[in-house]
Amino acid sequence: MLTSPSTPWRHTWLLAAIIVALQLALSAGLLWVNFLVEDIPGRRVDAPLHAVAQSANYSNLPDSAFETVNLPRGVCCDRTLLIYRTTLSAEEAEMHDAAVLIVGAQDNAHIYVDGHLVGEFGRAEGQPANMARRPQLIRLPAALLHEGTRVDVAVQRAVGFGHLRPFHVGEYSALFNSYVALRFLRSDMPFATGVIGVFVAIFGLCAAPLFGARGLLFALAGLAASWAGQQVALQLTAPPWDTLISYGVYFTAFLSASVCAVWFFVEWTSVFEQRRPPRRPLFALALDPWSALARKRLAIGAVSIIAVGAAFIFWLLLRDPSPTHPMVVAQDIDRSLGWIGLLALAFSLVRVLAYYLRGSARDPIEGSAFVFVIVAAVADIAMVRFWYTYGVFLDLAVTFFPLALLLSLAVRARGVFEAATANSEKLNRLVDEREQVIRTAMDEIRRNEHAAMLLEERSRIMRDMHDGIGGQLLGLILQARSHKVSNDALIGGLERSLDDLRLVVDSLEQGEGSLTSALGAFRARIEPRCEAAGVELSWEIEDVGATPNVGPDKTLQIYRILLEACTNALRHSGARRVTVSLRRDDAGHIEIALRDDGRGFDSKLTSTGRGLANMRARAVRIDATLDVTTSHHGTSIVITFSA
Amino acid sequence: MIKDQPRARIAIVEDEAILREDLARIVDQAADMDVAGIGDTLEAGRGLLSGGVDVLLIDLALPDGNGVDLIREARARLPAIKIIVVSIFGDARSVVNAIEAGADGYLLKGAGEQEAESAIRTVLEGGAPISPAVASHILLRMRERAAGVRGEPLDAPLTEKEVNILNDLAKGFRYKEVARLHGISPHTVADHVKSIYRKLAVNSRSEAVFEAVQAGLIRLND
Repeated sequence: MLTSPSTPWRHTWLLAAIIVALQLALSAGLLWVNFLVEDIPGRRVDAPLHAVAQSANYSNLPDSAFETVNLPRGVCCDRTLLIYRTTLSAEEAEMHDAAVLIVGAQDNAHIYVDGHLVGEFGRAEGQPANMARRPQLIRLPAALLHEGTRVDVAVQRAVGFGHLRPFHVGEYSALFNSYVALRFLRSDMPFATGVIGVFVAIFGLCAAPLFGARGLLFALAGLAASWAGQQVALQLTAPPWDTLISYGVYFTAFLSASVCAVWFFVEWTSVFEQRRPPRRPLFALALDPWSALARKRLAIGAVSIIAVGAAFIFWLLLRDPSPTHPMVVAQDIDRSLGWIGLLALAFSLVRVLAYYLRGSARDPIEGSAFVFVIVAAVADIAMVRFWYTYGVFLDLAVTFFPLALLLSLAVRARGVFEAATANSEKLNRLVDEREQVIRTAMDEIRRNEHAAMLLEERSRIMRDMHDGIGGQLLGLILQARSHKVSNDALIGGLERSLDDLRLVVDSLEQGEGSLTSALGAFRARIEPRCEAAGVELSWEIEDVGATPNVGPDKTLQIYRILLEACTNALRHSGARRVTVSLRRDDAGHIEIALRDDGRGFDSKLTSTGRGLANMRARAVRIDATLDVTTSHHGTSIVITFSA
Repeated sequence: MIKDQPRARIAIVEDEAILREDLARIVDQAADMDVAGIGDTLEAGRGLLSGGVDVLLIDLALPDGNGVDLIREARARLPAIKIIVVSIFGDARSVVNAIEAGADGYLLKGAGEQEAESAIRTVLEGGAPISPAVASHILLRMRERAAGVRGEPLDAPLTEKEVNILNDLAKGFRYKEVARLHGISPHTVADHVKSIYRKLAVNSRSEAVFEAVQAGLIRLND
């Protein structure tokens, strides 16, 4: 059994705690800043008038449009212009540098002073024609101010959850600090998180090809890019494109964020999970890990939805002529997207909860990241919807979310690595044990082989002795005992015995090498006889290379055949020259020949016949063919075999 | 009979009485050789080693030890002495062992008078008799050493020429034939063979030293 990673790294909890603590601390800080900026100096104007909803073209609204209406909270946000109106007191009109701070101009806001549009005038910074940027601190032109001056701030709600914010009238320098704090919350921090989003998107795109969980990283990149896209559309003070394009970018980015969130959470809750046994498809879709194929389809689907959605959004916004005012269209789109976003968030939440409920000891870092991002989203919605303050938590969560995910991935990688190491160690141990077993078995086999070889060799030598020298010596002894042998015959017989013994020794010594040197050794044995008989020995040996199949046994039989043939040639043929040759033919066969130029022999002679039969028997024993040709011009004996 | 040459003094160490006497008889009968002494054991052979001995005929299988030890001792004490191994089979392994210890040639036991006398004379004249079996065995041994169990290069590796000559000798070609094959004189072939013998002894000695150092028997001072 191979081990698998089970125990999470013990510092993981510590890291998770640090991350959550940091997030909580920063959230608390932001919350404090948020409430702090609520304490804005100057007079708060928060009694809105309800304008005529049918009049979309509000920029040149007649005074008659500005009728006092008590606005119930539930009705307020439906395709309406909202107008905050106030009348300046004598002190306010006398103020050195009167200004209006528009806190929550989520959308387009215009200022009218006694019915004159002054939106373009006295702005703290920047020159947006439509005042889309939040917050706005705008000077009121002193020439127009007197006691009882009517100041209207007209807001058309188009984007966002529709929080209604009051505006404040006061001295410019007194309002400035609040303006800066608001700008930090609403503009600078989202800009920073937008930049982080860009980096995360780039990281995800670059890392995806290198990393196993490609879908996951692509989804993360999509999510981050969507976030950054929203910030671009919202924060760009003076976009190089039309306002409607800006809305289109924002809506597309929002749609993309919703879709990518679903994609990402499905990936996250599937890629690290084992397949589960199938159950009802709807449950499986919502709760269980998706298969690789399903996730691939999801990726394609996500990209398609974003593309088609973007085309549809831009078509709705830019079609010409449009049946309704584009701003109203934008409001409709925004409302629909809000629902889509909520659905996506709910689906993700269900999956994440299922994922964490299913596994007992999940990685606490990623757990904290998910919990925080979801809680932040809920808290932001609540803040915007019920307290009419800015949502600040999601921005922060976006900052920490990728960090927590990266840490979590690193911890996972570490677990995988440790498991792999443990497994490889285990495998090594297994291999070592097996190797030991195999080695023991091999030793055993080798010992057996060795014993068998020794036995075979021993019996072969016994046979050789029996075949050759033993018989010869015994014959000589019997002959000598019965005094039937002459001294010369006895010496001759003993010499033959010694010769045979030497051949045995030579064959043992030479049999392992090559036939070439084996025959070389043989020359030293027969040359003295040839010299003694006055016969010239012609030596024609080729190098036939290694002959591993010619062992001592074959060598000895070849020696004996050659010795017999040589003895015959010297004794009976009257030859003057004996030629010994060794060569390898084209087919790879070895051919050893002994030729003489004597007068040949008559194979009917008994002694010669016995010698020939002997030679043939030896040739058969080593799987060789023996060709004997004899004529008046000489005899040739050729041994052929494959080696 | 050559009068002006000094008579060679020959010591014989052989445990088999008949063979010993046969050798002594052959030496006695030779015109320019004398028997300097006869021994039948290593111990007796050691006693024979003196400045007066020119040639040592020695059997390897002696009752009180291996003749190779005496060969090594003789070569160390009398560098100029000629040593001839007397062997019943002339088997390459024992002959090459003896050559490594410092022997100059070998003689088959039971060889005829002429054969024995000419073998002794060849060695005396600085020749280096070599049988095909010995040649092939030397090749084999050099190859094994060069391939090196320990990867140590040989102190005195054979030259390409020497290897070629050994190859031809192993095929059974005589000095004259080898000389013709290589376009050199038989004398040069003999020189090569002597050089091969020397290298064999050198490599064997350095190997022995190496092994002794490895075994901790010798300490080299650096």
